Amino acid sequence: MTAKKVLVVDDEIHIVHVVAIKLRNNGYEVITAANGAEAFDLLSSEKPDIVVTDLQMPVMTGLQLVEKIRRNEQTKDIPVILLTARNFAIDDKQKKDLQISDCLSKPFSPKELLRSIQDILYHKAVVQADR
Amino acid sequence: MKLRRNLYVIVTGIVAGSLLLGALAEWMDAGIGTASHFAGNAQNAALVVLMCRVVAAVGVIWLGWYALRLATTITSITRLLKNDKMADSARLGNTKKRRSSNVLAEELTRAINDRLDGYANQKRELEKQIKDLQIQVQLSQRQKRNTEAIIYSIRDAVIVVDEFDRLLMANEAAAELFNFDFVNSQHKPIAELVDPANGEFVDFLRQSRQRKLRHTRREIDFSKQTESKTFDCIVSCVHDQKNQVCGVVAVLHDVSREKEISQMKNDFVSHVSHELKTPLASITAYSEMLSDGEAEDEQTRKEFYSVIQNQAQRLNRLIEDILNISRIESGLVKIDKKPASLTMLIEEQLPMIKGYAEEKNVEVISQKPIVFDQVYADKDMLSQVVVNLLSNAVKYTPAGGSVKIETEVDETAATARVSVTDTGVGIPEDQVEHVFDKFYRVGANKTQAEGTGLGLNLVKQIVEKVHNGRVFVTSRPGVGSTFGFELPLATREKVEAL
Repeated sequence: MTAKKVLVVDDEIHIVHVVAIKLRNNGYEVITAANGAEAFDLLSSEKPDIVVTDLQMPVMTGLQLVEKIRRNEQTKDIPVILLTARNFAIDDKQKKDLQISDCLSKPFSPKELLRSIQDILYHKAVVQADR
Repeated sequence: MKLRRNLYVIVTGIVAGSLLLGALAEWMDAGIGTASHFAGNAQNAALVVLMCRVVAAVGVIWLGWYALRLATTITSITRLLKNDKMADSARLGNTKKRRSSNVLAEELTRAINDRLDGYANQKRELEKQIKDLQIQVQLSQRQKRNTEAIIYSIRDAVIVVDEFDRLLMANEAAAELFNFDFVNSQHKPIAELVDPANGEFVDFLRQSRQRKLRHTRREIDFSKQTESKTFDCIVSCVHDQKNQVCGVVAVLHDVSREKEISQMKNDFVSHVSHELKTPLASITAYSEMLSDGEAEDEQTRKEFYSVIQNQAQRLNRLIEDILNISRIESGLVKIDKKPASLTMLIEEQLPMIKGYAEEKNVEVISQKPIVFDQVYADKDMLSQVVVNLLSNAVKYTPAGGSVKIETEVDETAATARVSVTDTGVGIPEDQVEHVFDKFYRVGANKTQAEGTGLGLNLVKQIVEKVHNGRVFVTSRPGVGSTFGFELPLATREKVEAL
């Protein structure tokens, strides 16, 4: 089974770095981006299985990125996890509309993030298997 | 008085007696015979008769004369009374200045005079009262004008409506806010005068009146043409003696600015918390990784420790900067201004900057002009400004570049000017104006270097707020930037005035 690919997006290099190490140590393939625009470009070329993104970024914000992902036919089903210090920036309705799978607030635990990714990908696999 | 009265009685008695005698005389005359035995003899009787006749005649003449005199007195009194030329407090003069005074006439005159005096007094009293009332009316009117002037000049909008929601009074501020002309609008229903967009206010007035609330308060947004303002509205019901609501007074206080400031504070707090959480997130994440054994080799572990330390320092710098800026903004910081030479100040900071620049292979150029560049400044604060500008310049200049710091003096304008020019990455045109904002970091340059986003804001606060100076910046992306500040010179007079 090919390793699942995770796209990690954050303008803070240390955050991206620590998440990448954690995920790679646990068998995931990781690609990274420093802002929403970079991330969106990588989506079409790399086709990740799940996206982990911050909200506050230059050029294109996390919210704008997710909106774009959902509008795009190719990417609309990719699950998204938000990882942000600004947890009040998004309300429950928005989370539902944008189909956000999980929202972790900073400071976060890499362990929890890993568990969340594992859960989401597991459920996605189950749903797909049922079809 | 009594004598006179008695005289009257006596005289009246004599006259009456004589008339009687006269009558008797006539009767005697008519019947001399029957009366003769009264008189004795005929001659005596004729004499008596003659005497009686004379007395009677005298009596009648006197009576006539008296009546005439009485009539004359009454006529002259009447004439006096009718005289238009009589002054208000005039009294009737003595009509007769004769020795033989007419008692009745005198009493009448006196009575009339007393009555006239009485009326004159009453008139004076009434006139006095009228004057007092007039003065009171004037005072009341002046007080009313003063009160109106006070209300009209109040900056808050004041509106008074009656129990049928008709406009009774509005001051200038209210007329401006609601855009009506008070003179033409008085007594019109308030709903007609207010823009339907501001219907919430009209409803609020009506509700308060119906619920008879003494004081209610609500924040209401008003839209006027293009702009929207928020007002704190306090509505009070006016009660009359029967405790019925006879009117409503509304005072509207503009709180738009306060709300704006409150919003800015909220934004600041939220921004600060985000900035603080970011390095903290790194610290907690890397710590957890270490304790979970995710750092497999020594190299990785060293790397993790280093990140934790750096981020902790970053957090500390951030907190320091935020506190500094907050303190300066709220005026809490102790300012110690003394004359100081800018060039010397810069000289003191150069060694440290040069050390940092050497590590990055960036050249630092400075000059030492011999000019009078004394400014009246807090040395510590200005040193901080110089350090911030220089370290920014070095930070955003790639290896092989240079940073130049210059001091200039404009004697005519009496200002001293410090410029820091680098050959660094530059700032895009659309972002140049924001560089001095709190937490602002140029997006493209974020990857170049670490920064709190507060350094330049601190520079701006110190230069502009504390020292009455001016900051400036020019930049060309890919070429470099020039940051600087201007301060007024400490002229000799100012220095001596210390």
